[in-house]
Amino acid sequence: MTREGLLTRRSLLKGTAATGAALALGAAVALNQEEPALADSEGGEVAIAHEQYGFLVDVSNCVGCENCVAACRKENALPDSYADRRWILEEEDGKGKTRRLSHSCMHCENPSCMAVCPAGAITKDNAGSVIVNKDRCIGCKYCYQACPFGVPSYNDDGMDKCDTCRGSGVAAGDTPHCVRACKFGALKYGPVSKIKEVPGVQPVDAPGHPSYYLKFPISYAVSAHK
Amino acid sequence: MLQEMWGWQPALYLFLGGMGAGAFIAAAALYLMDKKQLTRSICISMWAALASLAVGLLLLLSELVFPVRGLMMWQSFSHFSSWMTLGAWGAFLAMVVFFVSALLAMPKVSSKLAEKWELYQKKGHKVRRVLAIVGIVLGAFVAFYTGMLLSSVPGVPLWNTLLLPCLFTVSALDTGVALVEIITIIVTRASDEELPERTRVVIERSVIVLVVVELMVMAIFLSVMMAGDVSTASGSTAVLSAEQLLSGLLAPYFWVMVIAIGLLLPLVVAIAGLALKRKGMEVAMALGALGALIGGCELRFLILSDGIHAEYVLDALQKLIS
Repeated sequence: MTREGLLTRRSLLKGTAATGAALALGAAVALNQEEPALADSEGGEVAIAHEQYGFLVDVSNCVGCENCVAACRKENALPDSYADRRWILEEEDGKGKTRRLSHSCMHCENPSCMAVCPAGAITKDNAGSVIVNKDRCIGCKYCYQACPFGVPSYNDDGMDKCDTCRGSGVAAGDTPHCVRACKFGALKYGPVSKIKEVPGVQPVDAPGHPSYYLKFPISYAVSAHK
Repeated sequence: MLQEMWGWQPALYLFLGGMGAGAFIAAAALYLMDKKQLTRSICISMWAALASLAVGLLLLLSELVFPVRGLMMWQSFSHFSSWMTLGAWGAFLAMVVFFVSALLAMPKVSSKLAEKWELYQKKGHKVRRVLAIVGIVLGAFVAFYTGMLLSSVPGVPLWNTLLLPCLFTVSALDTGVALVEIITIIVTRASDEELPERTRVVIERSVIVLVVVELMVMAIFLSVMMAGDVSTASGSTAVLSAEQLLSGLLAPYFWVMVIAIGLLLPLVVAIAGLALKRKGMEVAMALGALGALIGGCELRFLILSDGIHAEYVLDALQKLIS
């Protein structure tokens, strides 16, 4: 059992009240599989130079508590005029159960927003995070149109989106505040090469190769519906 | 479901930019055909092309969060992998060429230059000929770029096809010819002249060819969208967008304003004009051309409104939990 596996299971137990005993039991069964170390609410490894980092969402653990959304706003000191940088998406699974996931900028390997920005205001850093230079942005909204996920939003300061908390002092590759705030082990952050090793992980099939992966263990799904 | 991030300014810009480019191409072509005929109409058409492109660019500027920053082109349009950058510089160069061409098309300016500058007296027509050809190339680029601006975004399936710049280019030529046609009819009627037979035939033939080509490109474009794979996020969104145009929320505007008024009306008028070979068809021709302008403008608004993003994350979640 890895350190990560133990932490994840402990975090899941914290969420039992919200998600129900059956949910936690099923998730625990699924998470007994070996997983590589990824940063969660307890933090994680810092920055390997020039490596693409990304997010992993364990759909079976996300309860839609919006702690990640609140932490993002608070820690990045977003003014009221700024839209949220992170959202919770909901969908019914066909058996009447609502499934949720937390998502934001996907920090794509080949970001479409960066390619279309006329001012060259969008760049990628060491950890592959897609960052906007607000002093260069002209606010043409072309990046919104180009982004396959329609992520960028606009305010009086130009374009705004997730910068994996770089603007609030988090180092490249270090754990963003949304991940630290997730008490249910649903949101994790780490090198994409390690995320891909997690059993049952699925990429989001979209242009630009998003650094965003989903996990929903089949063993969990079976046990939850018994 | 409609696209709302870009409002009416970019939509009108796409129309005015395309129409301006098309009008210059049509006016320059008339000049190259016969440099001594329709001089007034050609001159006014070139000024109209310049004004159209300039107003379009000002509208685009007004949509920016930082319009002043947008004016600093060397910094704000410095990333050449972007079609917006290529288009901004292309439109800027086109405006310079359109301006010089329109200025030299003014008889007073041309004669004063010839008086003061002997070389211009000898080479003036050659200079204008070169400017007309360069302007046609730049105009074609601007017309194509208005489509490429949308086509280069991967997240919007309706836009992310090379058929869109093809459609916008043909429509730009169509609306450009319509603008020159209206100007020519007004100028000749105001000076109690008749539209030269050769010009009338050239315009009517051009309208027929352009409308038929535009209808064909439109049919292929929408067929490709309707044939999208509905099991994928992009395919299902392409089908949804096409359905919104053909039978949904946007259908009345598409069928009435784009197809009937914008394409079929000018086509019928042009065919009737050629078949009847009657004089005095100018009013009908002008109405057909006005229809083409209405349809071309509406096409940009509809394509922009219908440009909805594919739901990649939702699709991934659905596939995962189902």
